[in-house]
Amino acid sequence: MSNSHDHDHKAAPMVDEVSDFEALEVAVRELCIEKGLFTQADHNEWTEYMHTLGPTPAARLVAKAWLDEDYKQLCIDDPVKASLEVGINWITSMPSNFGTPSDYCNPRILVDTPKLKHVVVCTLCSCYPRPILGQSPEWYRTPNYRRRMVRWPRQVLSEFGLQLPEDVEIRVADSNQKTRYVVMPVRPEGTDGWTEDQLAEIVTRDCLIGVAMPRADRKADDKRPVIPAIHPYGH
Amino acid sequence: MTKSIPLLEKIGKEGRVWSDLCEQYGVENPDPPWRVFLESTCEVLNEGSCVLPSLERRDEEDELVDELYKHIPHPERQVLALAHSMILRGIITEEDLEKHLKTVTERLNAA
Repeated sequence: MSNSHDHDHKAAPMVDEVSDFEALEVAVRELCIEKGLFTQADHNEWTEYMHTLGPTPAARLVAKAWLDEDYKQLCIDDPVKASLEVGINWITSMPSNFGTPSDYCNPRILVDTPKLKHVVVCTLCSCYPRPILGQSPEWYRTPNYRRRMVRWPRQVLSEFGLQLPEDVEIRVADSNQKTRYVVMPVRPEGTDGWTEDQLAEIVTRDCLIGVAMPRADRKADDKRPVIPAIHPYGH
Repeated sequence: MTKSIPLLEKIGKEGRVWSDLCEQYGVENPDPPWRVFLESTCEVLNEGSCVLPSLERRDEEDELVDELYKHIPHPERQVLALAHSMILRGIITEEDLEKHLKTVTERLNAA
């Protein structure tokens, strides 16, 4: 009898250990359910919703706008309507379902130009356009980013490796409970004749937050190279 | 000065964070699988029952991280801060949590 697990591919490795933090998460959640603060069904609904989130719809929105001036104008005038075309409904996305209809419902698309660069932050906490961009990265939540980006944007962007010429104006948009921002970067050189699918692939999450610029030679799912240090420690 | 909670302090000191586990098991996922459950718990506590409004929780998370959990990465610090905030408000007690944590740990490690 052949071994049914004898496939050509190997399964990705997985952590085979329950950490104290994982157990703590389960314990807190179960105590909440036990005390009637929410039900397992409420929790499942959120978890399922969270799993569907990612930066792809926002990347698609930008790619479409790069190819279609009318759609670009719609993104500026009515981002809620423009989002529908990439499968995101801000009105009925999860937070609204819980009876707070104004939450998340005021998305704004910030259009960069060669002389104007936008970047998004939430100085207050970590508000983020999750329905269209997924979960925020860890650094977005740090006081370092939140406090310093509004004061010294040029310096902080340079720490992300984005060096902007002095004649490029930087505008920092501060998110809040209702208003969530997404950056539409400038279409990079070397992408003439590209399809929407090709363009969407180079619009990375960081480009949509505004801390990076899209490049024709870098796709969102590329493995990032590790560049060896010129002067390694100890040499 | 925020008072530390011995149970959470112990987890913070002895618990293995995701990056350590990834290194040992050769895993590349940026987030632990339980992160999504934690995020959902925070959301339903805000939206569903309004027990812990998001802004209040995040403000407190910043303070707690600054004073007690600075050396711990995210999302491990987020779950510690959430548990801390809930104990501070009397939503759960440290004793309840300790007891239930023991049961959960035994259950998850069974078999």
